[in-house]
Amino acid sequence: MHFLPLLQSVSNWAPIVLIRDSKYGMPAVQSFHLLGLTVLLATVVALDLRLAGFGMNDYGLSWLAKQVKPWTWGAFVVVISSGLLMFLATPGKYLGIHPFRLKMALLGLAVLFHFAVVRRFTAADSEVRSRRVDVIVACVSLTLWFGVGWAGRAIAFIP
Amino acid sequence: MPFSEWCQWLQHTRFATTITESDWLFPLIEGSHILALPLSVGMIVIADLRLLGLAFCGEATGRIVPSFLRLSRIGFPVMFLTGVLLFVTQAGKAYGNPFFRTKLIFLVLAAINAAAYQKLLYPKMAGWDSAHGAPPGAKFCAAFSLVLWIGVIVCGRTMAYQF
Repeated sequence: MHFLPLLQSVSNWAPIVLIRDSKYGMPAVQSFHLLGLTVLLATVVALDLRLAGFGMNDYGLSWLAKQVKPWTWGAFVVVISSGLLMFLATPGKYLGIHPFRLKMALLGLAVLFHFAVVRRFTAADSEVRSRRVDVIVACVSLTLWFGVGWAGRAIAFIP
Repeated sequence: MPFSEWCQWLQHTRFATTITESDWLFPLIEGSHILALPLSVGMIVIADLRLLGLAFCGEATGRIVPSFLRLSRIGFPVMFLTGVLLFVTQAGKAYGNPFFRTKLIFLVLAAINAAAYQKLLYPKMAGWDSAHGAPPGAKFCAAFSLVLWIGVIVCGRTMAYQF
């Protein structure tokens, strides 16, 4: 019940107003969002391709997972904080529209799948598993993460 | 016909207006352009970070950089094709846009930088082990590449605000 008034007051907070009303505020925040997603999804793609055996096969799976981790999470922080700023600047644009809800649902699923499944599958090299399961896990992961991106694009095009 | 008029003409060709007026073609092309970013620029950024000694330091530069540059070949054709299509549909508006012009300059510089790297440094890369890292020239190319690609993304995002 107190959520909407709180959101309203946060979106009228001076720094948020500055971002919303200044000429280059929103493009700057969105540029950070794009830079973040560029690095985040690049690391996700590299790891999932390796998991599926479609690329990066010169490297050990667990080694690659360890190497991409700081960049995945660094980029994730950039994407989430810039996304939060975009949301807080114009909450009315997002609340209650379907593409935004879909995007948040897919984001939740992607993060959950990453921790519950991908992390486990990329933790060790020598496990005996069927290749088919690895391919499926990689495909689900890529579908979820890129689904978040497409749902994000849909926010701009589907009212 | 001056180039500015040609851009106007291009934007109003039947081909361009078909894309602009379609409910799904323009969003599909624009979405593909943006989501090809990680598959092209993202891989180059990681290669640049390795050259600068900031990422994947446990493995030799000469192995990591080619691996990620190979992955960047997935995204670049998509990026280029959708970029050309986006230009065709908005050529008249893009022509005078300072951010679009800056983006093009950055892209040309990035291409020159990459070509110089390919010609002068790529053949020597196998000798750069993980202990010593890349020579200063290679680090300069990597830093320049990072700055240019960040600039391309920022300009690309900002230009649309002025349409």
